[in-house]
Amino acid sequence: MSKLKYIGKPTVRVDGKAKVTGAATFVEDIDFGPNLLYAAVVESPYAYAKINSIDTSAAEQAEDVVKVVVGKEFPYRFGLYMHDRYIFAQDYVRFMGEQVAAVIARTPEAAKRAAKLVKVDYTELTPILKVEDALCDHPNLVHPELKSYEHVPWFFPQDDSNIAHFRKIRHGDLDKGFEEADQVFEDVYYVPRYAHCAIEIHGAVGKFDHSGRLTVWTSSQSPHTQRHLFAEALKPLGITHNDVRVITPYVGGGFGGKAGVTMEIIAAALATKVQGHPVKVLWSREQEFYNTYQRQGVVAKMRIGVKNDGTMTAIEQLLYWDAGAYVEYGANVVNAAGLSATGPYRIPNIKIDSVCVYTNLPPGGPYRGFGYSEFLFGLESFVDDIAEKLGIDPIEMRLKNAIKEGDTLAYGGKMNPSGLEQAINKVKKELKWGEKRESKDPHIKTGKGISLFWKAPAMPPNASSTCFLKFNEDASINLLISAMEIGQGYHTVMAQIAAEVLGVPPEKIRGENPDTDRNPYEWQTVASHITWSCGNAVYNAAVDARDQIFDLVERALEKKRDALYLEDMQVKSKDEPEWSVPLRDFIIDGLMMKDGTWRGGPIVGRGMFMPEFASALSNPETGQGGKPNVHYTVGAAGVDIDVDEETGKVKIKKTVLAVDCGKALNPSLVEGQITGGLVQGFATVLYEDMRFSDKGKLLNPNFTDYKIPTVHDIPEKMVPIIIETAQPDGPYGARGVGEHTMIPCAPMIGNAIKDALNVRIKSMPLTAEKIVMSQKNQKK
Amino acid sequence: MKTQIAFTLNNELRKMDVETNQTLADALRYLMGTKSVKCGCERGDCGSCTILFNGKSVRSCLILALEADGQEITTLEGIKKPEEEMTPLQEKLLANNSFQCGFCASGMIMSLTPLLKKNPSPSEEEIKEAIAGNLCRCTGYEPIISAVKELAKENRQQKEKSK
Amino acid sequence: MPIAHEFKYLKAKSLKNAFALMEKHPNYQVLAGGTDLICAIKEGMISPEAVIDIKGLKGLSKIKLSNGELSIGSLVSYSEIIESRTIKSYFPLLKEAAEKVASCGIRNRATMVGNICSAVPCLDAGAPLMVYEATVVVEGKDGERLIPIKEWFVGPRKTSLKAGEIVKEVRIKEPALKHGIAYDKLSRYEGEDLAQATVAVYLDEQNNYRISFGSVAPVPVRASSIENLLNGKALSAELIAQAKILVAQEISPITDIRATKEFRLHMCEVMMERSLKRAQMMLGGK
Repeated sequence: MSKLKYIGKPTVRVDGKAKVTGAATFVEDIDFGPNLLYAAVVESPYAYAKINSIDTSAAEQAEDVVKVVVGKEFPYRFGLYMHDRYIFAQDYVRFMGEQVAAVIARTPEAAKRAAKLVKVDYTELTPILKVEDALCDHPNLVHPELKSYEHVPWFFPQDDSNIAHFRKIRHGDLDKGFEEADQVFEDVYYVPRYAHCAIEIHGAVGKFDHSGRLTVWTSSQSPHTQRHLFAEALKPLGITHNDVRVITPYVGGGFGGKAGVTMEIIAAALATKVQGHPVKVLWSREQEFYNTYQRQGVVAKMRIGVKNDGTMTAIEQLLYWDAGAYVEYGANVVNAAGLSATGPYRIPNIKIDSVCVYTNLPPGGPYRGFGYSEFLFGLESFVDDIAEKLGIDPIEMRLKNAIKEGDTLAYGGKMNPSGLEQAINKVKKELKWGEKRESKDPHIKTGKGISLFWKAPAMPPNASSTCFLKFNEDASINLLISAMEIGQGYHTVMAQIAAEVLGVPPEKIRGENPDTDRNPYEWQTVASHITWSCGNAVYNAAVDARDQIFDLVERALEKKRDALYLEDMQVKSKDEPEWSVPLRDFIIDGLMMKDGTWRGGPIVGRGMFMPEFASALSNPETGQGGKPNVHYTVGAAGVDIDVDEETGKVKIKKTVLAVDCGKALNPSLVEGQITGGLVQGFATVLYEDMRFSDKGKLLNPNFTDYKIPTVHDIPEKMVPIIIETAQPDGPYGARGVGEHTMIPCAPMIGNAIKDALNVRIKSMPLTAEKIVMSQKNQKK
Repeated sequence: MKTQIAFTLNNELRKMDVETNQTLADALRYLMGTKSVKCGCERGDCGSCTILFNGKSVRSCLILALEADGQEITTLEGIKKPEEEMTPLQEKLLANNSFQCGFCASGMIMSLTPLLKKNPSPSEEEIKEAIAGNLCRCTGYEPIISAVKELAKENRQQKEKSK
Repeated sequence: MPIAHEFKYLKAKSLKNAFALMEKHPNYQVLAGGTDLICAIKEGMISPEAVIDIKGLKGLSKIKLSNGELSIGSLVSYSEIIESRTIKSYFPLLKEAAEKVASCGIRNRATMVGNICSAVPCLDAGAPLMVYEATVVVEGKDGERLIPIKEWFVGPRKTSLKAGEIVKEVRIKEPALKHGIAYDKLSRYEGEDLAQATVAVYLDEQNNYRISFGSVAPVPVRASSIENLLNGKALSAELIAQAKILVAQEISPITDIRATKEFRLHMCEVMMERSLKRAQMMLGGK
């Protein structure tokens, strides 16, 4: 490939100016005029209860109330991968905070007041709040009708149980693998639930106009998927895909929390009840914690067989996921983790059970890392402990087993090109591994820890991206694309890709936030697959446009096509260095011939990408036979910490993360993903967790007690390292990097604490309190 | 019942009819259209609604609109000088790709603006203290701090040069 | 989030007018900084009929040191306390504590008097004011009352302020002797967080000690048994070890979502030890 002009440069964000000036429009910033109505949702005060009756009469009579809507008005089941939820609860509520009814009023205050007047008569039932209780011999069933639910073909629910999906992986010969081992180790780790905490709260406005058009404005990672699910769920009302339009402006952070469909469907459904009026549903921060998705908790039971030289011979990973009351999205987290729970290791004999368990807690779902952070906490902590028991340096242990290109994956596929070994060695060097940093303060102990990480996009095999690329008169470009600019810098990178192909600088290329009427299809902005997938679509659209330009110039100006190239918004020819024609001279109007007739016309490029090699079909008993994962992004990370042994306070002096992104299309944005991901990851291990009462009530649904790190809580130094082992089918060799940067944080902190204090804590988070108390208990 | 108040908004005298129980954040967003004021928590934890109240950074979600009567309010829309495209702080944050989703940006800038006015070349610790109440989930804060440090350094050098 | 509750907003023109408004609207709340109040109304924790804004009242916005006595008006914000040279020079414990309150955007608005009127167990100002043996000056229509700080806090969210009274200021006598102070706060974050425990320490050149703990009992406490042990003695490792044993008698921490009682107790011991050493270093001029 010739020298790249725009790719690989730290281009300034194309959306940057809109954001630093406050001009960027988020969904709550859109004005809807005097006709706007406001909804307040009535929520379940019980984790599990039967709804006997709902009395809406008092609410209906309250001032400024337009309509009160109850669940039975929408008896439709829907979901992304499994149809197991309703728009509003029907006969049962299955988690505290579940939506039961809604009040639509002329002011938000009136709606909120009237919602309190809706009287719901419940019979409280005993909730299942722990995975163990859900899996006991004769449990209460959270979903007695599970066997009738529609789901994707790669899910395996177990009838008459609370198991919504059971992902099995069997590879090699497990018994033989353990026999070959010199030693076999076992351990159990626990991970609680977490919240995304995007600073922008979910909001949605639905409008069902008098012509039967349903438009929904959302804050979302998935506008097209939302259109599809709205159309599917509301089909009984006669609404079709063609009637539904989803418009999504800038999104104030996603992290998985705005993927799929959660509260947006409430706005869509309520709109149909107040035809002609836009109706706004805006979550409070408390509702945001309860009623979007939560990161699922997991209990991980592991057994690993090793040779005395550190070679892993067998692994058994049993993952039991607290998936909550509805698993329409969360079951796929369970699936993804199950496919990859070996971690980035070459292990010949494998047994993985990844079990999706219904409980009466809020619905689990996607969260940056999609299950990998959860199982890697246990696995990467365990690998350190095994290395210690074998007397092997933890880095040497990892280098010995690290997966390489062409190695066999747990589900039978082959590993893609990867710079894992390079990443490990770079982290080792940067951390000064093996040198103990001394502290002058007698209470401060120092420690270092590392962790490897990997992750593949978890997506249906036919998830696709598309792009329309249209030129304007001055040869500037609008990209009609439908992934979301959620902060990762997607619009900028797409502009850089189109810029590279078309010789138009990125600042002249605008990415358009999606309107499903106008922008072509995109599956969802999740799975760290957008740079790769939509990047390919944009590349293909740009090449399509370039071909049209060259065709025209060849035809109208009789230039040799093979010699043409694009640079600085002009068409040039290798054969004639003096000759050029500016794009703006013909890109809309075409070129005039000597006889006054014109050739060409507005140039519009079209591009599409779908990974035609992927397949989710496999043997349900072994997981072998398909190609569910398109590729893995891998890396290594480490920390050097101070721990105050008296107070338990951890100070991260330095952290290093090396990730193989194939090709850093914009290194500044990759570094942004690294620093941001690290801090979000450290938060999950040092500070955050969702706490529930024994009634299933969330005890910390606010930033006072579920607090995300402040600027004072970040590492003293963060060192991003970019490794580039090209992804053969990626745009300019790129693969995704968004989620990966938070995945190694928990185990590397755990390993550093172990190094500093010789304490191993097996349940997240590793708070100051837990560190101090486990020290005290150890001394007893 | 609505009450009319008069106040200065971004250097202009304005009037608005507010409800007693309306917060200043909501009044600025819905009555004045200054949508840079964002709400992320509604209880003073996140800092997204930071504005200047008589020159000081405050949480507009914890102030009643009525309290603004006769006072001077500045939002992000009003911080640049007429001849500027953006303030030097905004320019620097833009050039450094400091923000990602951008939802916290206005609050961050409104917290940093009075600091830089008082002290054009603040230390790293002072920068951090100014934004310690502004939550950001995307960036890990580092790109924001480094941009302000760069600006502080340039301001210091300029000051030394002019001596 | 809309405030669903409707109330009257009344701006007091004078203290006298404030007393009249309070009498007329018995279900009132006084508004100064509002950082606690607005949040509480929003979340439905309180539903006052009237909110009486006292920010227009004259004479309540000053920090003044005269005749060896400091007065901090009830409208003085935490930021003003931090910025005050007088406080920095003569009452540094207040500055140290104020700097750990929330964050700049809150401190620019929140008042110290508002903090002690809310009297939530996690309040920041309690322990330092206990150590300084402050006096709360309140006024009602029947006149002024001076309330020693140790009688001010009655229980969680309860003070000895009576209906119809307003706090005018807090007074603190300047300690006569050369002294050292230290303040520490247990929080989960380095940044803004509510206190899970606080400790304030004073020691002077004649080995007089004052120690107070906050957020580890229904109200801030003076650790008199520890003070009795230490008074008249120079600090030593052995003495500190004895003092730490007494901490458990002085405080009654609870377990809640923020911390367990065991951890709070442990940290009170650690923070007291470290604060004593820090105050001693300050006294020694370091």
